[in-house]
Amino acid sequence: MTDRRALRGIWGDLLLTSVFIAAVSLALFWMAAFTLWWQMHAWRTPEVLAATRFGRPDGGEQLSFSLLLPARHEQAVLDHTIQRLLESTHTDFEIIVIVGHDDPETTQVAEKAAARDARVRVVVDTHEKKNKPKAMNTALPHCRGDVVGVFDAEDQVHPELLAHVDHAFRTTGADVVQGGVQLINFHSSWYSLRNCLEYFFWFRSRLHLHAQKGFIPLGGNTVFVRTEVLREADGWDPDCLAEDCDLGVRLSSVGKKVVVAYDSDMVTREETPGSLMSLLKQRTRWNQGFLQVYRKKDWRELPGLGQRLLARYTLMTPFMQAFSGVVIPLNAAVALFLDVPVGVAFLTFLPLVTAVVTFVFEVVGLHDFGVQYGLRVRLAHYVKLIVGGPFYQVLLAGAAIRAVWREQRGRNDWELTSHVGAHLTAAEPIREDVPA
Amino acid sequence: MTSTLPAVTAATVPAQGRPVPTDRPAGRAEPPVRLRSSRPDLLLCGALLTVILVVQGWNIADYPALSDDEGTYLAQAWAVQQGRGLAHYTYWYDHPPLGWIQIALLGWIPSALSPGSMTVATMRVAMLLISGVSAVLVYVLGRRLSLPRWAAGLGTALLGLSPLAVVLSREIFLDNIAVMWLLLAFCLAASPSRHLWHHFGAGLAAAAGVLTKETMLVVLPALFVTMWAHSHRDTRKFALTGAVTACALIGMSYPLFALLKGELFPGAGHVSLWDGITYQMSRPGSGFLLDRGSGSYGVLHSWLYYDRVLPLGGLAGALLLLLTRRWSGTARALTGPSLAVAILALVALRPNGYLPAMYVIGALPFLALVLAGGLASVGHAVLRRRRTEGEKRYVTGGRYAAAAVLVLAAGAYVVPHWYDGDRTAVTADANKPYRQASHWLGTKVADPKDTRVLVDDALWLDLVHAGYRPGLGAVWFYKADLDPAVTRTMPHGWRDIDYVVASPTVRRDAKDLPNVRAAIQHSVPVATFGTGEDRIEIRRIQAVGGAR
Repeated sequence: MTDRRALRGIWGDLLLTSVFIAAVSLALFWMAAFTLWWQMHAWRTPEVLAATRFGRPDGGEQLSFSLLLPARHEQAVLDHTIQRLLESTHTDFEIIVIVGHDDPETTQVAEKAAARDARVRVVVDTHEKKNKPKAMNTALPHCRGDVVGVFDAEDQVHPELLAHVDHAFRTTGADVVQGGVQLINFHSSWYSLRNCLEYFFWFRSRLHLHAQKGFIPLGGNTVFVRTEVLREADGWDPDCLAEDCDLGVRLSSVGKKVVVAYDSDMVTREETPGSLMSLLKQRTRWNQGFLQVYRKKDWRELPGLGQRLLARYTLMTPFMQAFSGVVIPLNAAVALFLDVPVGVAFLTFLPLVTAVVTFVFEVVGLHDFGVQYGLRVRLAHYVKLIVGGPFYQVLLAGAAIRAVWREQRGRNDWELTSHVGAHLTAAEPIREDVPA
Repeated sequence: MTSTLPAVTAATVPAQGRPVPTDRPAGRAEPPVRLRSSRPDLLLCGALLTVILVVQGWNIADYPALSDDEGTYLAQAWAVQQGRGLAHYTYWYDHPPLGWIQIALLGWIPSALSPGSMTVATMRVAMLLISGVSAVLVYVLGRRLSLPRWAAGLGTALLGLSPLAVVLSREIFLDNIAVMWLLLAFCLAASPSRHLWHHFGAGLAAAAGVLTKETMLVVLPALFVTMWAHSHRDTRKFALTGAVTACALIGMSYPLFALLKGELFPGAGHVSLWDGITYQMSRPGSGFLLDRGSGSYGVLHSWLYYDRVLPLGGLAGALLLLLTRRWSGTARALTGPSLAVAILALVALRPNGYLPAMYVIGALPFLALVLAGGLASVGHAVLRRRRTEGEKRYVTGGRYAAAAVLVLAAGAYVVPHWYDGDRTAVTADANKPYRQASHWLGTKVADPKDTRVLVDDALWLDLVHAGYRPGLGAVWFYKADLDPAVTRTMPHGWRDIDYVVASPTVRRDAKDLPNVRAAIQHSVPVATFGTGEDRIEIRRIQAVGGAR
């Protein structure tokens, strides 16, 4: 009798385990499948791919631009960036460099540039606690152009970008134009390889889907907004860690028209964070920012249910990523080592299948990245991409967990990312008060 | 680069119809816009489908003769339905199981309503669904490969009405299901929207085809070529990689299944995928196809007996199209199907390979398409080649006269042959002996539950429904010699058997099966149905001196 009861207990446990594994596997599968589907948006059809590019400018330039260039302890790269921006072919723009009152070195560089060229102006931000949205809000009343553009101090901007953006605004009647941003130094380290590819898929593909669906988290730079639209929206949220994402969500929630365009020769080139730690911090900030945007609930104003679901899912993505990164191996291990029915064991391989498909598309993406940018991608890079995948997942999971923890503790100060280009000790990011 | 506008955000999602740089072969007729909304296409395809379903469905249970293989797959489908695993005897990786899993699904509702309907003759109706879908897919594929409407319709008719195709597609063969998946894969590969996920889907469908019948593997290169030609330069690498990945991943599920069951590699006391593959690869060859004395030659002739037009004409069409690729747009558009035919022909021409009778099924739709395409090409040459605006009227008239003569000549040859073949298919009764034998065994044997009968696979399910124990009561005759799990229950050999149903299959194979041979030798016919070679004898084992 006891035997039978024990047997029944085992059966019950097995059934429970099976149902649990099946449910987790299917959930993971659908998550990964949707993410993959969106990630591959631009390559769906040749027509979609063609539509992701900038239209060729017709020569008629009618808009004026105010380009915001917030700079903080970035005296090493700032001048170069300003010079390059001044090489723009567009005829009507001003550059507003925003510096902090406590940052004389950068201010000096900015003032020098302003003295050289009348198109450059300097605005001093006097906030006690400084961050990027506050800096940009400080500059907003000084903008004279029809369109406000945002760049970072270390950006390499293509001279013809403004002409293309001008054309895009005029031909589409857009309120916002988001240009492409691309990390280029894929050869620097294993994580920069993955980081570059993330940008590639995001700006090359996924963002276009968001534009099409009418819900878009904007990027931090190479973003252009009509000045009156920006003022109407009260500029950027000074308390949000992902003010760029937040602006996009708020603007799309009130039905503003966002246009995304990506041309490999027109992207703004950037560098990956210089160390794993700074990448982790940057990612933590983004995740926490996404979480804040989610909690602000502006996305609930979106008209369509599909849009709201996409918003909910996109803003939660970092956490789903963290979750799946941990659960996929666990799930497969359970299926292999516990004696579950073959059918259930099969289900546990579903998330693995999507993971493999994602990997394959990443390999192809890396190849395409190399072709688009004329970079030589070697076999070693492909190997790094694959081998580094799981470790990158761990990093993402770590950043997500850190973000949740920081948000719970109410720590929403900025952990700025330092840039290798700005190779200065003084360039240490402000307020590095995060326990590692 | 074409000047294009960026994607936009708006309350309503704008259509993404933008001009793209094309790299389609020039000089082709415009591909159909949307078949779903093209009235003439729908009407033509619908009319053809109706005719095909009537011709294939009428008399489907009685002609052709029930085949042993049909019984095998259907019985295994029954085992799947009953939750007895993948087969009622040990599944030994003879074929991937997806084929009969699909048959099980098709027969699920009928067998739930009436359990007795899971017999070969009845369940052939399910194959109508498969051939209906295949017929439509051939039409769609023809149109997607830029065939004119009449040629796509002709291809469908060739596939649906050729007596050879009618006979073979009525039977419950895995190849019929597999080729449907392959056609779907080709249709998706040639999708006019060149959608990434259509190509991905093509990979999935191809994998389903291969897992249904592994011989479809050889057609995959032709599928790849089709996909290559129909993808766009800018998105090709994603589309093709996606398709290959999808196909490989789904294909891997089969070895994964074996691995999970601990049956990937050979070992003592269990079957294995490895052994299954080894068996299939080392099946005794049936000789060279064109060698008059060989088994392969016999198989070839059994096909040509039903129809010469489709196999030989199709082969000629494939050669014509492959040779004229340089000049003919049709030939370029049909490279995929031509290549499929060529590969299948080459595989059949292996010097001493094993050539199963159903092998040709995998080639039929492609033969039909290339034959139709070849005729379209010829038609185009006769009517349009070097034709100028100011061509003299009598030249134009001559062109049409020549075309009419060709059509009449072809019709005069094909129609009588096909009429005869198809009339046989809708009127002949080849299965009366089987029905009678089934009836006899169901009514005249007093105690089916405790009776052991050696029977061929085609009749096996009839006996199961009549109350015989599946597996050890009603026994697939060759299991009595080949399956240790069965021979173990027969310590006294033929003496442990009550009846043997000597159908043509059983008599033919008995020479290699000692137990079956002995059972036939030590039995006398108690009932005989039919005459001559096709007769079915029900033979009762003669117990020697009542020793049993």
